[in-house]
Amino acid sequence: MSAARIHGIVLAGVGGQGVLSMAQIVLEALRRSGLHALQSEIHGMSQRGGSVQAQVCFADTPLTSPLIEEGGADLLIALEPLEALRYVSMLRISGHLITAEDPIADMEGYPPLEDVHRALRAVRGSHLLDTESLARKLAHKQAGGMAILGMASRFLPVPEETWREVIAQRFEPKGARVVEKNLEAFSAGRQLIPEGVEV
Amino acid sequence: MDQRTLALGVEAVGCAAFDAGIKGAFGYPGTPSTEGFEYVEAMIQASAPERVAQWATNEKVAFDLALGASYTGHRALVTMKHVGLNVAMDGYANAALTGVQGGLVVLVADDPGMHSSQNEQDSRKLAEFSWLPCLEPSTVQEAYDFTLRAFELSEALQVPVMVRLVTRLAHCRAPFLRQETLPPTHRGQVPGDHVQDWVLIPSNARRRYVDLLAKQPRMREAAAEINRLVPGTARRGVAAAGLGRAYFAQLALEYPELAALPRLEVAAYPLDPATEEAFLAQVDEVLVFEEDYPLLEERLGLRGRARVRGRLDGAVPRTGELSPRVLKEALGLDPLDRKAIPALDLPVRAPRFCEGCGHVDAYEAVQEALRNVGAPEARVFGDIGCYTLAAQEPLEAIHGVVEMGASISLAAGAALAGQKPAVAVIGDSTFAHSGLPALLTAVESGADVTVVILDNRVVGMTGQQPSQALDQVERLVLGLGVPESHMAVLTPLPSKHAENVAAVEAALQRRGTSVLVFRRECIQSLRRGVLKEHDREARERQACTTCAPEVRP
Repeated sequence: MSAARIHGIVLAGVGGQGVLSMAQIVLEALRRSGLHALQSEIHGMSQRGGSVQAQVCFADTPLTSPLIEEGGADLLIALEPLEALRYVSMLRISGHLITAEDPIADMEGYPPLEDVHRALRAVRGSHLLDTESLARKLAHKQAGGMAILGMASRFLPVPEETWREVIAQRFEPKGARVVEKNLEAFSAGRQLIPEGVEV
Repeated sequence: MDQRTLALGVEAVGCAAFDAGIKGAFGYPGTPSTEGFEYVEAMIQASAPERVAQWATNEKVAFDLALGASYTGHRALVTMKHVGLNVAMDGYANAALTGVQGGLVVLVADDPGMHSSQNEQDSRKLAEFSWLPCLEPSTVQEAYDFTLRAFELSEALQVPVMVRLVTRLAHCRAPFLRQETLPPTHRGQVPGDHVQDWVLIPSNARRRYVDLLAKQPRMREAAAEINRLVPGTARRGVAAAGLGRAYFAQLALEYPELAALPRLEVAAYPLDPATEEAFLAQVDEVLVFEEDYPLLEERLGLRGRARVRGRLDGAVPRTGELSPRVLKEALGLDPLDRKAIPALDLPVRAPRFCEGCGHVDAYEAVQEALRNVGAPEARVFGDIGCYTLAAQEPLEAIHGVVEMGASISLAAGAALAGQKPAVAVIGDSTFAHSGLPALLTAVESGADVTVVILDNRVVGMTGQQPSQALDQVERLVLGLGVPESHMAVLTPLPSKHAENVAAVEAALQRRGTSVLVFRRECIQSLRRGVLKEHDREARERQACTTCAPEVRP
């Protein structure tokens, strides 16, 4: 019997940024691609502006553990740069890190942003996105999160069409315009990473 | 396309209860149990008007509501977090003696690692204490399947059955396969010749206790059918329960050599000694993986048949939750290679009050009033909710938080022992939960206490569920004996600060029990429009002139 290869994704950010919602999109996209996947999240007080983390693991065999071990993540998707740094050690040596550059720094002791960015760039396999500029370019204030997901999507064995379906369904209740804006942001992010980097 | 349902573990329990044909779901919110109730509530509201979902003032009330439904012959679910079971314990332990009529399942969500709780007590121990069965799923599918099974067991053995989850399973989202949905089942109310079973006067209770003990062999047999012995070739074995079972199963996928270890997979209690003996006969050493207390570990250890290792000998950390890493270390497997931790000090990003939260304005008024009366160092007793965040920097406004509703009696007790001023801070829902009897005693005792009720009109922290005290805090306070002269209703807004400080100061200097109600809706619930419909209806009732003014609500 050979050992199963189990893939892990860590999603991180600050309460209110939509980390859990993004984790659900990732879970659904993997599932529709015929993979076995499960997701873990922590609720409660962390919703109140604290650090938020969710994990998704997937494999081609049924899984039972909702937790990823340190060094077990192939991908770290972060919506805030300090939160990205917090979970770097969850990544395998070969893992990739996708993060927004723009900080939520409304706290004591937030390190100088250039130090945070330098530390992130020093991580092999890191990809930083200036979400503010992208949001301006697309005239869509919330474009950052979807663009980050678009970048991350290149690393996951999910067809582009499936991503678009899941995203469209997710935002459908908010109207066609919102769906279109989010798909646009997703594509913009996806174009930033070349093909052929799937885990 | 996958026909399975995607939901959290705790939601799968709610879904299974619906499919098992419950008539009613009851509960009190508490992380990580809340979504279990909300899921079945949504199913009932969407498609089953003949069923009922009702939040209760507290877990004891919720349990008793479920037991009452069971008495009539219907299946019922009651949901709570682990510390909520302490509150419901009187009903739970005594329902073991009365027994149940319709199947009664108690969903209890434990919180090892204390992600959002004040302790990591183990509900399996309280099931054992009460001589009641407990099922412990390890996956979302099992959470669903075991809940269905728990209803059957409950009716077969005529006792409440606990389904115990832990945070990581409660909040694990995964697909599961549903069975067909039963309409509400009905076994008929407690028959006449069994009514005395439900009247726990000593003469009946003695008989029922003997009956409960006589059910133990059947409970053990039922558990033995669920628990599994997996043989192996090694002399070292693993006994695993709950998530310990889930983590081990996955490690065995990654490390095929683990298949050589004989395994005792525990998913149901009470444990059957024959199962334990059969397992121990195969091994010289056992590693035990279970969440919270070393319950299985102690039982196996007492048999003296093998070297039993786990939380008690340090093979597994004594406190905190299990993780794949914890299991690997205990099993002697190397940790994975990982990226280096960046050499930068990362400050903790702690949860905090939402921007514009009324609690902050209320606390600032209380703190300034304490300074003005010359008691800036006075110890203030807090309670459980979002407002507990005030214990931390920068406010540091409360100096004791123990359990739901404790603040009022802690302050009254301190006042009776001579503390002056004595202040309690409690939320509206926590006040309804267990502050009501405390306030009655405070008034009766004559203690000089200032009780600050932070009324944000919802159960804020767990997701803005309706507060049972909604729109009636003043009536409750007056009804418990606080004179009108000793109560003030204030609005926690920066623009009202001076006025609020003056009101708190006056209360601090008054004799007897004073109550200050700071009312402003939770800004999260305001944003989501949680009370919009409720408030619109209330306004319409006010405007309606069909009834005479004195009978209008």
